[in-house]
Amino acid sequence: MLQGKLYGSPQAAVADIQDGSTILVAGFAGYGVAERLLSALLEVGSKDLTLIYRDGPYSEMGSGPLPSIENLVSNGQVSKLISPIPYSPGGGGTIEEWWQAGQLEIEIVPQGILVERLRAGGAGIGGVFLPTAVGTRFESGRERRTFPQGEAVLELPLKADYALIKVAVADTLGNSIYDGSSRNWAPVMAMAARITVAEAERIVEPGELDPEAIISPGIFVNRIVAAA
Amino acid sequence: MPPRLDELTMARRAASELQPGQVVALGSGLPARVAEIVPSGAPVQLLSDGGVLGYKLPDNGEGASGPSLCGPNGVSVALGKDGSVVGTADWAAMLRGGHVDMAIVQPARVSAAGDLLGWTTAATPGLFAPGRTVDLAAGGRKLIAMLPHTSSDNSPNIVTESFPVADGRGCVDIIITDIAVMRVEDGALVLAEVAPGWSYDDVVSLTGAPLAPPGDLKEIAPSLEPLNIERPGKVFPDGPSAITDLHDGASVMIDGFGGPGGMAHHLLVSLRDRGTRGLTIISNTIGIARIVNFGTPAGKLAIDHSILVENGQVAKAIATYPVSPSASRPSTFELAYRRGEVELELVPQGTLAERLRAGGAGIYAFYTPTGAGTLIGEGKESRVIDGKEYILEQALTADFCLIRGHKADTLGNIVYKGTSRNFNAVMAPSARVTIVEVDEVVEAGELDPELIVTPGMYVDRLVVRPEGFSPYE
Repeated sequence: MLQGKLYGSPQAAVADIQDGSTILVAGFAGYGVAERLLSALLEVGSKDLTLIYRDGPYSEMGSGPLPSIENLVSNGQVSKLISPIPYSPGGGGTIEEWWQAGQLEIEIVPQGILVERLRAGGAGIGGVFLPTAVGTRFESGRERRTFPQGEAVLELPLKADYALIKVAVADTLGNSIYDGSSRNWAPVMAMAARITVAEAERIVEPGELDPEAIISPGIFVNRIVAAA
Repeated sequence: MPPRLDELTMARRAASELQPGQVVALGSGLPARVAEIVPSGAPVQLLSDGGVLGYKLPDNGEGASGPSLCGPNGVSVALGKDGSVVGTADWAAMLRGGHVDMAIVQPARVSAAGDLLGWTTAATPGLFAPGRTVDLAAGGRKLIAMLPHTSSDNSPNIVTESFPVADGRGCVDIIITDIAVMRVEDGALVLAEVAPGWSYDDVVSLTGAPLAPPGDLKEIAPSLEPLNIERPGKVFPDGPSAITDLHDGASVMIDGFGGPGGMAHHLLVSLRDRGTRGLTIISNTIGIARIVNFGTPAGKLAIDHSILVENGQVAKAIATYPVSPSASRPSTFELAYRRGEVELELVPQGTLAERLRAGGAGIYAFYTPTGAGTLIGEGKESRVIDGKEYILEQALTADFCLIRGHKADTLGNIVYKGTSRNFNAVMAPSARVTIVEVDEVVEAGELDPELIVTPGMYVDRLVVRPEGFSPYE
């Protein structure tokens, strides 16, 4: 018997997020951000969180100010950020202030390396040798090796406790499709988290989605919440 | 000093580097403005890490436009007829795997050796946020750096000294600034073009690195002429015409699962008829459908890899299922192996798929737990990571790839049908020449861009399976 994946509210879907959890937050420049789940996380108030995400605060997107990474930081819930673009450069803002005050750890990882580390985490790979960081500041402290193709650096997998993703349509088993740029990091993040929570624009019955079109199979989606 | 070029003129100059059929990844800032220049229907594909391959700006766009597609600078974009939706992992794999012909970035500084420095902020020195710059710098086969020639304090952005830390080493090929175009050649800069009214000496006075004068100093005069040339066509009349360069000793990926479904049968027969020898075949099975007879009509034999083995064309197989499930009905390959005529490298199925993905995605090697402590792990590096044993497996690439698609558009975007998808999505990007046998070729723009599994950038040639073709003989 399958346990039901539908949750009645975003709060219920994130209520068990413990202090100290690592959370993947999908989104690219405001596209594909699980806004209601992030709002719920603010209310639930879990602390000492490590957030892994692509880019920083988006205050102008959508219909109004988005609950953002920045809100979670200013609410004192975050101890570490892992991101290629943690905040808008030179824009000041909360994340920059907290980092300068030493209250927030930030690990910068180039986008393509970060997404591959997450994929490795999700796919059970113990590590990947990538050429990307060779000779750059991001090689620091990592093992470098020579292969027939050239020099490469060992990048280790990343996994998380939760992933908060936004999907266009999910069926009740969690099979999901996305809308355009909202796909971005979500398929990889869904694989890399122990519990993936999907905020769905639309929820349908199993069998209604074209099986050739499904991007994230239900095995990677544990909880589903309606987006509105 | 004469006036400097405005941003759009710089973008126009960058766009004039584009060639028909290219895939071009743009960074934010100045590079994103190149999209304003590329005309509607231009034969190039712009790649956004917002997950769009083949985007246009809505103003010069065609096809679907909407709020759901995002350019590299976060603005809404339209999808070209050649476009498809891709995730961030695909974006990174395209770059790292060497599939992006050109990348354009805006660094803070560039050195004479072609190193680049991403931006930081005055408030947070030391906290660099490279976003996509490192990936673009490492990934594009050709890299253009676009930046103002000097900073706001008039200090040069093009400098001699090598950066103690950098976001890319020796990666820049062309530098386009608001006063000049320079080429990085053998670790030194050559001035190629200047903005109207600017002299060689003017540019040198604002440059922090030695600048070799060219034999013939040109004024910057962008031309978009190449963008009026059509892409080379990908549709070939039949199987034999699509494999005329498939040579003796080539490595060839061939798709297929167990049964006769999902295999490029017409291409297989074409390869048999061609008689090419000494082949290394990379595939899941090396021909068991013929012996197992999954649903084969009475008196017929399924076409599979066995026809190449029978014909003495195969020297080696890298495969998962080289043998028949029944000892009393050995496969053709099995018999040839027993006779010592062929070599075999046995690879677990999941490892095969992952090695193929690695080959196409620019991953040189990876640690997998599959096979650790078994015969598969013998002779391979073993390593304990987080308390678990892994073995190191290497990426796989090949000269050719013959796979079966369902529908293609004329640009090579592919959708599959059912089990026929199998290894195809990971094989197509990892071969030098990928040839796809499809049921039907439709016009660009007719496939749903959300459903495209293999973007045309990975597909070199298309062949329509002949009408009435039977996978049995």
